[in-house]
Amino acid sequence: MVAYIAIGLYAVTLLLPLYWIVISAFKERFEVFRTPLTPSFSAGWENFAFVWTYLEAGTALWNSLYITASALILTLAVALPAAYGLARARGRIGSIVERVYAFGFLIPGFAALVPTLLLAIGLGMYRTREFIILYLSASAQPLAVILLTQFMRTVPSELEESATIDGASRFRIFRSVYIPLVVPGIATVGILQFISYWNEYLYTLVIVGPQPINRTIQVALPTLVSATGNTNYAQVAAGAVISIIPVFVMYLILNRRLEDALVQGAVKG
Amino acid sequence: MSTETKAPKTAPPRAGSLRRSNRVLAFFTIPSLLWYLIFTIGPLIAMFLISFTDWTSIIATPEFIGFENFAEMFNDPRVGTAIVNTAIQLVATVPIQVVGGFMLGYFLSLKFRGHRFFRVVLFIPALISVAQLGTIFTVVFGPAGLINSLLTAVGLEEWTRAWLANESTAMLCIILVGIWSGLGFNSILFAARLSAIDGDVYAAAELDGANHWQRMWRIAFPISIDFFGVVLMLQFLWTLFGSAALILVMTAGGPGQATSTLSWLVYRFAFTGAPSIGYSQAIGVLLFILGSIGLLIIRRAFRQRY
Repeated sequence: MVAYIAIGLYAVTLLLPLYWIVISAFKERFEVFRTPLTPSFSAGWENFAFVWTYLEAGTALWNSLYITASALILTLAVALPAAYGLARARGRIGSIVERVYAFGFLIPGFAALVPTLLLAIGLGMYRTREFIILYLSASAQPLAVILLTQFMRTVPSELEESATIDGASRFRIFRSVYIPLVVPGIATVGILQFISYWNEYLYTLVIVGPQPINRTIQVALPTLVSATGNTNYAQVAAGAVISIIPVFVMYLILNRRLEDALVQGAVKG
Repeated sequence: MSTETKAPKTAPPRAGSLRRSNRVLAFFTIPSLLWYLIFTIGPLIAMFLISFTDWTSIIATPEFIGFENFAEMFNDPRVGTAIVNTAIQLVATVPIQVVGGFMLGYFLSLKFRGHRFFRVVLFIPALISVAQLGTIFTVVFGPAGLINSLLTAVGLEEWTRAWLANESTAMLCIILVGIWSGLGFNSILFAARLSAIDGDVYAAAELDGANHWQRMWRIAFPISIDFFGVVLMLQFLWTLFGSAALILVMTAGGPGQATSTLSWLVYRFAFTGAPSIGYSQAIGVLLFILGSIGLLIIRRAFRQRY
C-alpha cells in the first residue's frame, strides 16, 4: 500500500512538469503563471510558429538528423567488422583488445572535452558538423563493439566452417553469414546510439558551436532562456515540445524494443 | 565491467593457419581500435600533459610548469568550494537515485496491476536530453514558473522565490533535477534484473512470514548486489562528470559559487572569463583521479558475496 502511494507520487512528480510544459506551449504568455494546471488554447499555434522561426528549427532539426544519421552509419560500418574479428579471434591478443575496449567504459566522455576541441582545431575541423560525426562514432566504439561481439558469438562456428569449405573468403562470410544473423544486435546498437547522438549537447555546443547554420536542436533550445530574466515561458515550452517530439515518436513506435536497448546499453556501459 | 565472456572453445587448428587467420581478423578490428584510440584515449593523455602547462588560451604558446597548477589548486578557495559542492551533490543525489531505484524496481518486478503504465512513466526521463532537462527545469523553477505559480495558487505566496537565483536553494534545485531524471531509469534497470528471480523464492519466503520489506532486502538485494554496484557506478560517474552540462544550462555555477562543482570548473576555466586551459585540465585530472578512486571503492564494496 505504502509502495503504491510512493510510486504514484513519484509518477505524478515525473508527469507534472511535462504536463505543464505541454499545456503552457499553447497559452498566452501571462496565462502560464495565472492558471498553471488548466489547459487552454489561448495562443493557438502562435508560440510554435514564433519558436520555429526564431530557433531556425528546420535547419536545427536537419543538422541533428544529419549528425545523428551519419554518425550512426559510421559507427556500425567500423564496429561491425571489429566485432566479427573479436568474436572469432583466438588466443591472447583478442582478449587483450577486448580489455582495451572495456577500459573505454571507464573513461567518462566529459573528461576529454577540451583536448577534443584542440584536436578539432588541429585538424582544421573546428566549427564543422563533420568533426562531431567522427568524434561521436569513435566514442561509441567500446559499447558498440562489445555489444555486437556478444551477438556475433552466438553464431555457431560450424556455419563458418562449412562456408570456408565452400571456398568463401572471410569477408564474404562476414557479409553473408554474420551480418544477417546479428540484425537484432544491429537494431539494439542503432536505437541506443540514435538516442545518445540525438541528445548530445556539450560536445556539440563547444565544437560545432551556436551559429544557427550548424547548430543542432539541442544546442538551439537553451537559447530560448534569456539571461536577463525576460524569458517567455510559453515560448520555451513550445521549443521544448518541438525538440522532444522526434524521440517520443520513436518511443511510441518502438516501445519495448527501445526500453530493452537502453537497458542493455546502460548495463554494458 | 561485464565482459568476462570467454571465447567459445573450438578444436584448435594447426598453428600456422591460426596465425594466418588471426592476421586476417586483425584487419577487421584495427580500424575501429585506431579510431577509438585516437579520439578518446588520445585526448585523455593530452589532458594529463596540458595540466602541466601554463597554457592560457588557444592562441598562446604553452610552457611546461611542472606541478604549479596543482599547487595552485590546493590554495584556491574556488576549488575548495567546488569540492564541497560536489560532495553535497553526490551525497544528496546518488543514494536516493540508487536505493530508491532499487525499491521501485523491486515493485515493478512483481508485475502488480498497472505496472506497465508505471514502467512507461518511469522510463520517460531517459529520453530527455540534458539540454531539454536543463531548459525545462529552468522555467519550472523560474520566477514565474510552475513551482511559484502552484505555491501562489494554494496561498503560500510568501514561499515563492527565484529558486535558481537564490544561493540557498540553487543547489537543491540541481539535486532535485538529478533525482527526477535518474531515479526512474534506475528502477527500470533494477526491474530488468530482478524479474529474473524465480517467483517461487518469494512465495517460499512469504510462507515463512517474510513481508515485502524483508523480501526486498534479504532476498532481492543479496541476489542483485553486483548489479547494485554497477548502477551505483553509473550514477556516481554521471553525477560527478555530467553535472557540468546541466549546470551550464541552469545556473552557470551561480548564483555566486552556489552551484559551482568540480566538473563545472573544468568548463569554466577553459571557456569563460579569462581562460586558463592548463589550470582547467589540472582540475580535470583531479576529477579523473577522484572518479577512479570512487569506482575502485564501489567495486570493492559491492562484489558478489555468495
